Amino acid sequence: MAQVTLNKVRKAYGSVVAVHGVDLHIQDGEFVVFLGPSGCGKSTTLRMIAGLEEITSGTIEIGARDVTRLEPKDRNIAMVFQNYALYPHKTIYENLAFGLRMRKMERTEIDRRVKAASAMLGLDPYLERKPKQLSGGQMQRVALGRALVREPEVFLLDEPLSNLDAKLRVRMREEIARLHQEVGTSMVYVTHDQVEAMTLADRIVIMRDGHVQQVGRPLEVYDRPQNLFVAGFIGAPEMNLVEGRAEGGRFAAGGLALDLPPGVSAREGTALVVGVRPEHMPAGQAPGALALEVSVIEQLGAQTLLIGRIGATRMRVLVERTDAVRPGSVVPVSLRPERLHVFDAGTGMRIESGNAQAGARPAA
Amino acid sequence: MSSRATIYSFLGIGLAATLLLIVAPVAYAISLSFYRMDSFVGTPQWAGLDNYARVLSDWTFWRALINGFVYSLGTIVLQVVLGIGFALVLNQVFPFRNIVRGLSILPYLLPTVVVVLTFKWMVDGSIGVLTAVIAALGLPPVSWFESPAAAMTSVILVSVWMWTPFVTTTFLAALQTVPASLYEAAKVDGTNAVQRFFHITLPMLKPILTVIVLLRAVWMFNKFDVIWLLTQGGPVGATEHLAILSYKTAFSLFDIGGGAAIATISFLILSVAVFIYFRLFPLDTD
Repeated sequence: MAQVTLNKVRKAYGSVVAVHGVDLHIQDGEFVVFLGPSGCGKSTTLRMIAGLEEITSGTIEIGARDVTRLEPKDRNIAMVFQNYALYPHKTIYENLAFGLRMRKMERTEIDRRVKAASAMLGLDPYLERKPKQLSGGQMQRVALGRALVREPEVFLLDEPLSNLDAKLRVRMREEIARLHQEVGTSMVYVTHDQVEAMTLADRIVIMRDGHVQQVGRPLEVYDRPQNLFVAGFIGAPEMNLVEGRAEGGRFAAGGLALDLPPGVSAREGTALVVGVRPEHMPAGQAPGALALEVSVIEQLGAQTLLIGRIGATRMRVLVERTDAVRPGSVVPVSLRPERLHVFDAGTGMRIESGNAQAGARPAA
Repeated sequence: MSSRATIYSFLGIGLAATLLLIVAPVAYAISLSFYRMDSFVGTPQWAGLDNYARVLSDWTFWRALINGFVYSLGTIVLQVVLGIGFALVLNQVFPFRNIVRGLSILPYLLPTVVVVLTFKWMVDGSIGVLTAVIAALGLPPVSWFESPAAAMTSVILVSVWMWTPFVTTTFLAALQTVPASLYEAAKVDGTNAVQRFFHITLPMLKPILTVIVLLRAVWMFNKFDVIWLLTQGGPVGATEHLAILSYKTAFSLFDIGGGAAIATISFLILSVAVFIYFRLFPLDTD
């Protein structure tokens, strides 16, 4: 087990920069998820930790060792690949044992570890089979097992569940969470699926275009997204984002005037973006309720998503299941100031209560 | 036309072509081996197995058989080993890779006559570049076509030169089908480049390698033009294998039955070898 430290890790392919100086400290035993859309640099960063991509500049430390220039095999990491990358001509047993055999481990110890991993992952009936004879879920378990037997300092998982169907993905997600609890080794996990990130991570690293956007605990990034990108990326259905300006200490946009959250202020006329999550707009008559003109209704089962307009502003509102609303209905919804996320439209950054006033001139 | 009629008509055309172009000539050649014939115009006389008895009791047959094995084994091993080596090199990333890849197939595109003439020119006693290089290295001159061992070396060298690109190209194409993640997984698993070749590349490409070796073996065992153009089987039969011997027997000695018998035996040996080969290396590796 070990900590992992990335110091200004940068990756450029010629003039194209894939990762711009990532700084990150991963605690011993921590489960960190890199989350972002495709091409954001999350896999590249993981592969740099693995040693499969050369680092253009910066350093990576695993434990107390600087591994920046070390080969993958000397980094004491194990990796799980998206397409499993099992050796097709070897049996499951040989697949699990291969990394240990290459390290000249004693036969009895190899056997002990393979048996332990196989028991842990329910692979005992398949040890003599070839990968081709297994299902996707079983193959992914073998891939996990191959990492497990190595007893590495860090597990690296590159979109390990994205080749599985939805149902299996949920099961394997639970299994990975259980594994992490049992072995307690640091894990770095790459995904574009925010549900995986929210459910598995101790901390999420959200990336975009090679830049880290925010690092935080799952509920932290949900509750306090640091910028507009994170606000739009985390949460489903997506957060409503409304462009407007600061007017008379309030937020104004297309006939909509809202009080800013307590402690948040913005200089008069500053361009702002205000975000509110669909699930944070309760329906029902209340003082100050706004009228939502519903145009589309999406039934999700336990909940109903209402899509429509408040004044001129398009809004999505997630309410308890209702069968009564029709297109054209007007539904009163409440918008409490403390539920609002306020961003500076110029910088895209969150304006916190107690923060410097948005739009304030920098001190001379 | 009904679909059944379509099927039969296509099948019929294929079958007729096979009968006419493959089965009939082979059957005719085999049938010749049971007759005594000293020209293609005279009336053949039934000879039963006489031709076979005569051919098999002649030591030149056995010499040709051994020469054939030496030649095919030598060329196949060198072609496959060099071909794979070149393919692995050409699979690396380097400047002008596509041009180099294109150039590497050039010998395969040249007519045999050109390759043979080029080689003869290179080893020419007075102006040959190889001759000059050997002299410059202070080595004794090589009589490429006069000494038996050197003559066999020449035919093997020229054959390897010509047909290695086939192995290289096929193997290079096959290399592209191995997923990169397997190599990455193996890197993480602690392998070095040599171990990756033996644990990933070779097993992954075993089916294609099986076919390459088989094709090369069949072609080399029957190869005629290179040897004929270089040595005509000489000196004193040192490079004479079954195809050359069969041709000489039939068309130089006008022993057509004997020539046909040698060709038939060669055909049988190859058929048995292919059969055994497929038993040893089944194409379906599971």
